[in-house]
Amino acid sequence: MNVSRRGFIKLLGAGTACYGLSRLGLDVKPALAYATSLKTAGSKEVLSICPYCSCGCNIIMSVRDGQLISSEGDPDYPVSEGSLCPKGAAFRALHVNKHRITKPLYRAPGATDWVEKDWDFMLSTIALRIKTARDRDFKTKNDKGQAVNRLDTVFSVGSALMDNEECAVTVQALRGLGIYQIDHQARV
Amino acid sequence: MTNHWIDIKNSNAVLIMGSNAAEHHPISFKWVLRARDNGAMVIHVDPKFSRTSARCDLHVPLRSGTDIAFLGGMLLYILEKNLYQKDYVTEYTNASFILGKDYGFKDGLFSGFDPQKHVYDRKKWDFARDDKGVSLRDKTLKDPRCVFQVLKKHYARYTPDMVSKVTGVSKQNLLTVYETFGATGKPDKAGTMMYALGWTQHTVGVQNIRLACMIQLLLGNIGVAGGGINALRGEPNVQGSTDHALLWHILPGYMPAPLASQQTLADYNTATTPKTNDPLSMNWWQNGPKYTVSLLKGWFGDAATKDNDFGYAWTPKIEPGEEYSNMFMFDRLYKKQMKGAIFFGHNPAQSMPNTNKIRKSLANLEWMVMGEVHKTETTDFWRGPGVDPKKVDTEVFLLPSCHRGEKGGTTTNSGRWQMWHYKGIEPMGLSKSMGAIYTELFHAVRDLYAKEGGAFPDPILNTDLPRQYDPEQTAMKVNGWFTRDCEVNGKKFKKGDQVPSFAFLTADGSTTSLCWLYSGGYPEVGKNLSKRRDHSQTPMQAKIGLFPNFSWCWPVNRRIIYNRAGVDVHGKPFNPELPVVAWDGKDWAGDVIDGGGPPMAQGGKYPFIMLTEGMSQIFGPGRVDGPLPEHYEPAETPLTKNPFSSQMNNPIIRWIMSDMDKFAKHGDPRYPIVLTTYSLTEHWLSGTDSRNIEVLLEAEPQLYVEMSHELAKEKGIQNGDVVEIESIRGKVQAVAMVTVRVVPFKIMGKTVHLIGMPFAFGWTTPGVGDSTNRLTPTVGDPNCYIPEYKASLVNIRKATKVTELER
Amino acid sequence: MPKSFLIDTSRCIACRGCQIACKEWKNHPAVHTKQTGTHQNPPDLGPYNFKLVRFKEYKMKNRVEWLFFPEQCRHCLEPGCKAGADAILEGAIIKDPATGAVIYTDLTKKFTPQQAEDVRAMCPYNVPRWDTKEGKLTKCDMCIDRVQAGMVPACVKTCCTGTMSFGERDAMLKLGAERLAEVKKTFPKAQLLDPEDVSVIYLVTEERKLYHDFAEGRAPMPVPGMNRQEFLAKLVKPVRPLIG
Repeated sequence: MNVSRRGFIKLLGAGTACYGLSRLGLDVKPALAYATSLKTAGSKEVLSICPYCSCGCNIIMSVRDGQLISSEGDPDYPVSEGSLCPKGAAFRALHVNKHRITKPLYRAPGATDWVEKDWDFMLSTIALRIKTARDRDFKTKNDKGQAVNRLDTVFSVGSALMDNEECAVTVQALRGLGIYQIDHQARV
Repeated sequence: MTNHWIDIKNSNAVLIMGSNAAEHHPISFKWVLRARDNGAMVIHVDPKFSRTSARCDLHVPLRSGTDIAFLGGMLLYILEKNLYQKDYVTEYTNASFILGKDYGFKDGLFSGFDPQKHVYDRKKWDFARDDKGVSLRDKTLKDPRCVFQVLKKHYARYTPDMVSKVTGVSKQNLLTVYETFGATGKPDKAGTMMYALGWTQHTVGVQNIRLACMIQLLLGNIGVAGGGINALRGEPNVQGSTDHALLWHILPGYMPAPLASQQTLADYNTATTPKTNDPLSMNWWQNGPKYTVSLLKGWFGDAATKDNDFGYAWTPKIEPGEEYSNMFMFDRLYKKQMKGAIFFGHNPAQSMPNTNKIRKSLANLEWMVMGEVHKTETTDFWRGPGVDPKKVDTEVFLLPSCHRGEKGGTTTNSGRWQMWHYKGIEPMGLSKSMGAIYTELFHAVRDLYAKEGGAFPDPILNTDLPRQYDPEQTAMKVNGWFTRDCEVNGKKFKKGDQVPSFAFLTADGSTTSLCWLYSGGYPEVGKNLSKRRDHSQTPMQAKIGLFPNFSWCWPVNRRIIYNRAGVDVHGKPFNPELPVVAWDGKDWAGDVIDGGGPPMAQGGKYPFIMLTEGMSQIFGPGRVDGPLPEHYEPAETPLTKNPFSSQMNNPIIRWIMSDMDKFAKHGDPRYPIVLTTYSLTEHWLSGTDSRNIEVLLEAEPQLYVEMSHELAKEKGIQNGDVVEIESIRGKVQAVAMVTVRVVPFKIMGKTVHLIGMPFAFGWTTPGVGDSTNRLTPTVGDPNCYIPEYKASLVNIRKATKVTELER
Repeated sequence: MPKSFLIDTSRCIACRGCQIACKEWKNHPAVHTKQTGTHQNPPDLGPYNFKLVRFKEYKMKNRVEWLFFPEQCRHCLEPGCKAGADAILEGAIIKDPATGAVIYTDLTKKFTPQQAEDVRAMCPYNVPRWDTKEGKLTKCDMCIDRVQAGMVPACVKTCCTGTMSFGERDAMLKLGAERLAEVKKTFPKAQLLDPEDVSVIYLVTEERKLYHDFAEGRAPMPVPGMNRQEFLAKLVKPVRPLIG
């Protein structure tokens, strides 16, 4: 075991590669050229943005036949210059993910499991719950007799995951309903 | 961020404190290392040695919760060694302002303290003023009651000896940091401070950041390339979601939320519009009424008219002095005062402090609506550990939300760049964007009111929200448009034209804008500036890496805010090598100048245009807990006395009281170890996304606790053992990571151990561990009520039975 | 001109973007791991982990050194594994002349586990791994598909600090020398690891043995007492019938 690592590599370079074959009486063949195809070949590139921290790394999605094939950093984004952290590097795995919720799920009071429901059921039932709470608990005046027009018993939390446009409609909808107890990740 | 990510490269000294930038914002380190390549010294001040520290010139371990002591010592050093930038301090800050006779400070308390209500009367901290109400100044900075002299006196107690004993930082390390960073007080040098939740998540969080700002102002580091106070924002759009006010206390664009005492729009405007008689102060917030009316016009459309106060009466009014922050909302829920909740992209059962209480309180809801991508500890709380679903009466609606690549729209990065992302694939399954879900939900309620009537239907029926969520259309509406043909600032516009910028918003109902800060980002139909991909820039801009034509940045595409303070009164850059803006005698070159108009010496205005006095506030009378930062111990502290005063904790903390809100005693022998909590690179915050990405879970599979070899030896713990961490509120199991990267501290002559844990692991991912926040207390900063996750008290022992980490 | 990597560990923040980007590009499934008291996970290279960031920490004279080593195949200029494999089955391991990439082809499926183990033993850095599920020998292929398409390997592309560079061998050697001169100012023990012998050149700041067990390299003789010729002869033996 006295062969040094460095010495060993040199030794190999000197002729080991030929050793076994020449012993068999064969010529050493030139190394084979290697050819491959790219897994993203033929895909369309669409620009997205990493949904984790606020470095805002731009990401190029490779989309083929409506499927997200691959994703990687956009070199044109001056902040990241195409690089990504491990979470950003797993952007595709975030989307193409068997753990995602793909259907509306409903859990009745006291139930031990979820049941799948359609969007109509969910939206109409939730609307009824909000309206019931609002009609019951809406406060037009406070104890001092000042007009306050608010709903004290329903609150909303989230989300810094939303796009600016989504935030804009959310705030408009919530305050329109009289829901003012609004908070999100800016405060954790 | 006052500056932006790329600008970090321009720094001569980088102080990373209250942040683990390399782990939580890895891309930031591209620019930190470029600064280092250019000769900058990079310093990391943080309780533990992390991947950030590994790439810094110096890591300085400090006891969690003692940042004010550390920075107070730096401020004193800067004053004593005359390292501050004199012209900047006298011309651009309120250091020369004379304080009124009522200001005082004694033994940890400022004047105006009401010991019954635990609030300050902030009027006691006002400046002395002339008959016009303009603050008196002494530009020699010699008046004993000028801010500069008061500052000197206040921080005289923060000597290296004292700071070293309180923080556990060696005197040598203190002086190295002070000297290095203090050297950026030279006009042509700049230092940047990078912070994150390590500064905010304390009962003195706001004052941590204020003190950092004060130092940056003394050193003339605000408004210059390579300077600034840079919050590294941790959520993809937390900048934007804050700008758009997903918050109870503000309306979009940082306008205060209306109070019950402000019954009319005129009341609101009077109360919220600052006034000054100083002709040199731009006092930008005097424009507030224009933004409010444009917002109301955006919300209520044609229904908002001058005659009905633009629908002001339809907006909810809150009680003055009442707290609605999430800790308080959940406390109300725990006390059964809440009936319904809407949670979108948020996992409070995992990420709020004292999650045992949060989890219990969720069962008090009649119904809960959630928009999520994955099941979380919140969506499934009713079947969580130790919960019998049959006994939980909450009705739960879980709406599948789609992911980023499945929708278009904008997010705003930490440097305030608003950038468009495109829809690449269809939403998975039946999932929808949160914008679509909210829109449809609102209209479902609205349809019921239109059909049946009900309690005060006016605001619902008058809300002008298209039935179909369209991000492009919404982006146009956020920017704002003209509601009629009109002339503003001498320019004629047609009904339906986009507003060119917020300078064209009006208070008469002729304009709309859902957030005035973003006005200018979509200035013409078909001209969505957030989609710009243009790298072109002038050589001056290129030198500092400004990229003014890539995407768009609020406000008005200004990339470095307060840049007017980066030049002298003649408009000449303090650092001629790396100018942000420069006056050429006629015009400004470089970045978009703050406020417009010529330099001060030519009749221009004071540089800090958002402040009423036009001067930045070294003395800050606006904060509820004092005009100058003062060291108080964390709510839970290993000490029995605050070495700086007899006031142990921040005196203004509003303590939340319930049978589940217990606190360890000061210096509690049952819980002698300081716990700090944090995130980690491979997971994202509470882990709801990243735990479901198997390649990330592979890299960081289970909850761990980092501790020193010394503590491990004391407790008989081996690396890799499963241990139990216990606070007065709960217990958590984790795998011990015994490391040289955590060291015991010597505090006031006594050894204090600190341990650190991530909070990314929860029970819905089997065998990874469960919420670290079962340990943390429901207490927070009294200005903003961000919880104190960073410093609480615990004990630790080897687990006798592994129950949470079988994998 | 063949390609080379420069991996400048003085810039590495161990974010593991490379480790994940590699898995993602290769569509490698996750492996089951546990927390054992270190951030290094999975614990070792494997058939689904061609790139692994190794973590080592030391206390040195009141200073903490946390050393990160983004490990992968070195793509040796004269690869020992290929020499060994050629002795068994020519074409199982090849060296792409255009790039210098050492590539394990599907012919490695013909290796018996013992032969694979023997070939593994020829690697001085202990990189190749036997995929028991597919029954083949695996390791990094330099993202040959990407490189042939004019792209850089996935790990290099994602690296956010400039730790990893990829390009023409001359350019990388030049960059390595420049970086070394710079880094040496702060870390006198800094060195390039075997730049004349490998296509993946590491720049380390401390003694190489501190990084991990095989950063030092090793002699390829698994059986004590056996000399090199005997060892290679042993490799050749089992394939004789195939050829003959």
